[in-house]
Amino acid sequence: MAITHKRRDAAIWGWTLFVLVVIYLPIACGALASFNKSRYFGFPVKQYSTDWWSKTVDSIEIGMIVKTSILVALLVTVVSVVIATFGALAFARYDWKGRRLYQKLILLPIFFPQPVLGLAMLLGFNAVGIQTSWATAVFAHTVWIVPVVTLVIAIQVYGFDPSLEEAAFDLGCSRLQVLREVTLPLLWPGIWSGMLFAFLLSWSNFPLSLYTTGADSTIPEWLYAKMVAGYTPMVPALGTMATLGAAALLLAGGLIGLLVRRRAAA
Amino acid sequence: MLQTSPTETALVEAPPKPILQLVGVRKTFGGFTAVEGIDLDVRAGEFLTIVGPSGSGKTTLLRMLAGMDTPSEGNITLHGELINDVPPNRRPTCLVFQSLALFPHKSVGENIAFPLKVKGVDAAARKARALELMRVVRLPESYFDKNVMKCSGGERQRVALARAFAYDPEVLFFDEPLSALDYKLKKALEKELKDLHRETGKTFIYITHSLEEAMVMSDRIGVMRAGRLVQVGTPEEIYGAPVDRFVCEFVGEVNTIKVGRGTDGVWSGRDVPGTFQVAPPRNGVATDEAFIVVRPEFMRFLGPGDTADNRLEGTVYNEYSLGSRIQYQVRVDAKDGEKVMLVELSRARALPPSADSQVTLGWDAADAFTLEG
Repeated sequence: MAITHKRRDAAIWGWTLFVLVVIYLPIACGALASFNKSRYFGFPVKQYSTDWWSKTVDSIEIGMIVKTSILVALLVTVVSVVIATFGALAFARYDWKGRRLYQKLILLPIFFPQPVLGLAMLLGFNAVGIQTSWATAVFAHTVWIVPVVTLVIAIQVYGFDPSLEEAAFDLGCSRLQVLREVTLPLLWPGIWSGMLFAFLLSWSNFPLSLYTTGADSTIPEWLYAKMVAGYTPMVPALGTMATLGAAALLLAGGLIGLLVRRRAAA
Repeated sequence: MLQTSPTETALVEAPPKPILQLVGVRKTFGGFTAVEGIDLDVRAGEFLTIVGPSGSGKTTLLRMLAGMDTPSEGNITLHGELINDVPPNRRPTCLVFQSLALFPHKSVGENIAFPLKVKGVDAAARKARALELMRVVRLPESYFDKNVMKCSGGERQRVALARAFAYDPEVLFFDEPLSALDYKLKKALEKELKDLHRETGKTFIYITHSLEEAMVMSDRIGVMRAGRLVQVGTPEEIYGAPVDRFVCEFVGEVNTIKVGRGTDGVWSGRDVPGTFQVAPPRNGVATDEAFIVVRPEFMRFLGPGDTADNRLEGTVYNEYSLGSRIQYQVRVDAKDGEKVMLVELSRARALPPSADSQVTLGWDAADAFTLEG
């Protein structure tokens, strides 16, 4: 028995390690490439330096691109979380005619190939005469991200006892008070994960941004453009920074969620 | 409670007047009729229990009273005012849910003070009132900041009750809040609820499928079946004078004997041999075909020389301990094979273990009742 247990544990650990290596090796390679003193991409790295990191941080162009990416991601987060919260209530809570159809329709954009979706939206903006910019990219990202966030929040709604709202209503709450005192606080964990999802999906989106940002540029677009022509180790440097930034956000988000839950449990 | 408060005496003496009135209340969902034509007067300050098997419409009825559903037909009035369409937050009533619906993100104190917060009462007054209510429902003060999800089942009941009292409703509704608790705690809380009813003088309307619960707590019981109120009366009336076989079988175990009256006026058994003395039907219906209904505790074993209005010969073949009582199953000869009769005796009067299993059952006509056949 003990031997089979040991074997099983070894198998689990081995597999976990394998998966981690497969996932993180490319990222580690990118990070290594950014510390290459040479201008060209090449392994093994002959001489290490942090020059390209400081150049990246100092670049005015990159500063603007990062600001655009943050702005787009923040706006997408706010807009899609508001839409998705009420959408999730319609999705998972209330029984109405057409709910099943809505549940299917809302998920469809997720399965639609993003380059095609991006191109379609570009054509749409042109047709109605809207100049594409970071603002149209917010719209495009929202179209694709709302379904994902709706699903994330709907999971929280499914675990929500509807009699809690009825009880609040019965104890004198107006509809608005029910929302503020009961519904939103209880959906908060789901809304919080939805926010993180929305930000990170927008932050790393390339195909939709490519078609819809117009003259503006986001981090993934800039990385792609520089890889096609004009590569410098600033590309892996910025890529690594973007990844670290996303990881930091995720970690901070998780910590805040944990702290809030701790305080509530006290 | 041993001491008698002045309000309590007043309540007993004052003639009860209806606070809630239901006239012809129906509720249909699509083609399904959940509640069918209910007429009911609820007296101010009474403890009324609606009891019925699951699916009898009692929860639907309660939801209409609380304002969470609207009647399809009929009128519900509170103090004479029509409230059919008044939403729950504008009714002076409060429902204690089966799930209790305590807010998991709020502490015990915040849960109890919730209705006051909604009304805009300031924090200090809220806390004072919540602590006062915690004393009323016998929760320790130290629980004020406790996470409500960390409370035990019985403590949660008290929190839910205190929260309902904080709303200061005129009528409290209960949707089987004790159903998930273990037997002993349930018994204790039933009695506490009864005490709280007496202390607060509020009107309680309680629904349950457990008649035992209804019997312990209620001033009056309404029995529901298939969307209709079959009988409304005091526990004694429901138990001692059920209007039909459904009520009498729902209310507890019974022995029934089918009898018919001959031209000579003598009642003879249809399913068991012999003639019987039969009490006149309490609803006054003259009939020639009837059921004699005898509760097991009104049956006794007859020794030599004992007399009873009616008797049956039989064989004891099983006995069950019910704690303080013992139930015997007795086979008696019937026209088509055998029939089982139940006899319940207190433990002190139990048959000696050595007793012959051949017995004579006896009961008096006055202890039985008669239902139309």
